[in-house]
Amino acid sequence: MPKLSGKGTAPSGFRRNDSSSGGALLVIFVALSLVMFTMSVRENGTGLFSGVRGAFSTITMPVRYLGVAVTAPFNGLGNIFSNLTADQGTLSDLKAENEALKSKNAELEEAEQTATRLQNLLALKSTYNLQSTAARIISGSNDSWSDTVTIDKGSSAGLAVGMPVSDSNGAIGQIIECGVATSTVRLITDENSSVSAMIQSSRAQGMLKGSADGTLHLTLISTDQNVSVGDTVMTSGLGGVFPKGLPLGTVQSVNKPAGALYYEIVVKPLSSTESFEEVLVITSLTEDQQATNEDIASADSQDSSSSGTGNDSESNSDSKASSDESKSSE
Amino acid sequence: MQVNDSNKNRRSMVRLALVCLFLQLALAPNFGIANGRINFGLIYAGVIALTIGGRTGVVAGFFAGLVFDLCTTGPVGLMSLLLTVAAFLMGIEVRNRIAEDFSGSVVLFVMCAFVVSVFYNLAMFLVGQGGSIVDMLFLRTLPTFILTGAAFVPFALIAGKGTAGSSLGGGLGPVGKHSIKYSLGKR
Repeated sequence: MPKLSGKGTAPSGFRRNDSSSGGALLVIFVALSLVMFTMSVRENGTGLFSGVRGAFSTITMPVRYLGVAVTAPFNGLGNIFSNLTADQGTLSDLKAENEALKSKNAELEEAEQTATRLQNLLALKSTYNLQSTAARIISGSNDSWSDTVTIDKGSSAGLAVGMPVSDSNGAIGQIIECGVATSTVRLITDENSSVSAMIQSSRAQGMLKGSADGTLHLTLISTDQNVSVGDTVMTSGLGGVFPKGLPLGTVQSVNKPAGALYYEIVVKPLSSTESFEEVLVITSLTEDQQATNEDIASADSQDSSSSGTGNDSESNSDSKASSDESKSSE
Repeated sequence: MQVNDSNKNRRSMVRLALVCLFLQLALAPNFGIANGRINFGLIYAGVIALTIGGRTGVVAGFFAGLVFDLCTTGPVGLMSLLLTVAAFLMGIEVRNRIAEDFSGSVVLFVMCAFVVSVFYNLAMFLVGQGGSIVDMLFLRTLPTFILTGAAFVPFALIAGKGTAGSSLGGGLGPVGKHSIKYSLGKR
């Protein structure tokens, strides 16, 4: 029942509270926020706020599942912006491709797709002898800063911060937060991600970094190495996080600026993560999946040759790879 | 005589909070332009600040920001700080503004959304989350701002109808039909 009160002086409820502009509360909450912000920034993957966030993620997991189920048919809407800016040639190609995909898609049932993905995952697991746990993507990123996905397994399934994650095509990212029943995976396309990588054909080693526009950039490949468009880029295992030899992408463009010591290489990722897709979390690496002394020596010699041509500012690519990948895992 | 229905107010606030939480968790991660994602926490804080305002707006802003922070991988406390201040500013001037001055409310929200987006992304940039200020502005701030601004309109329409159209304190708002903008003078 509504309460009737004269001149807006209700004894309780928001009405009375609203007679104040909330200046005192503002000061309290601003101070509280600043304290939380300072404490949160100092945390490195573990701590009070990481725990709270993990618990929150676990509690809200059913809602994320529901959201994915509801929005799955509309996932393509996110591509509207990029479609609007595509040129006519690209659109024609896409239309033709779309027709082909439509006819193909009609033949396939959802269950078959799932089975195929699982088979591919098993094949990948078998091929690379991965010690892994299967999980499923249940949500994407909630903010504009991080390119992450949430998977439906957490510390209760033996997962931990830093573990690499792959799908049936290759490596997709690394766990950065781990709750009891969910984990957050930073994708390799995230701007803060860096993975030590190499060109499969020439074995040239570098660092694969994400960017805000979603492309991957392979850096620290010296210009005396051989790199061609279409070359496969794979993990080098130098950072000690990702197993050696997992595919990451293919070289989309190679630019050799005049006088530069390193190529500017754009890499097209092999995987496009979608909700409900199955992934493998690699829980441990065997000895043969880690970089060998020869690989490290090779990276050293590659860096030395670059340094010999006048580069004094870059650090050792091997040690840089290790430190950068470790940083990514934090 | 004025009508006060604080229970209904609370129910409406909780309903709106649940809707926004659901949308933040379910819709926002799966719908975006470029790197932009809709900030339903900001929308919730804006609606509450522009309908009820005052201390309630500040509290709503703080907790909406806190929930947003927990939903993301960014530092906890940043969005709660920004939404607390934004809700205070949106709710300080005129209560129940959304029913009395809809377009003005939307404009005020859009300005606040822009400032919040810029400051949030700038802070993230300054704590070392991004490498380029151009990317920060055009690939993160603008898409988020545009999406959030557009998503606010239906919420504002519903909130405006709820406060202006009800006779006995229906929907959100401090009073049923008349805004505090006018009733404040009677106190």
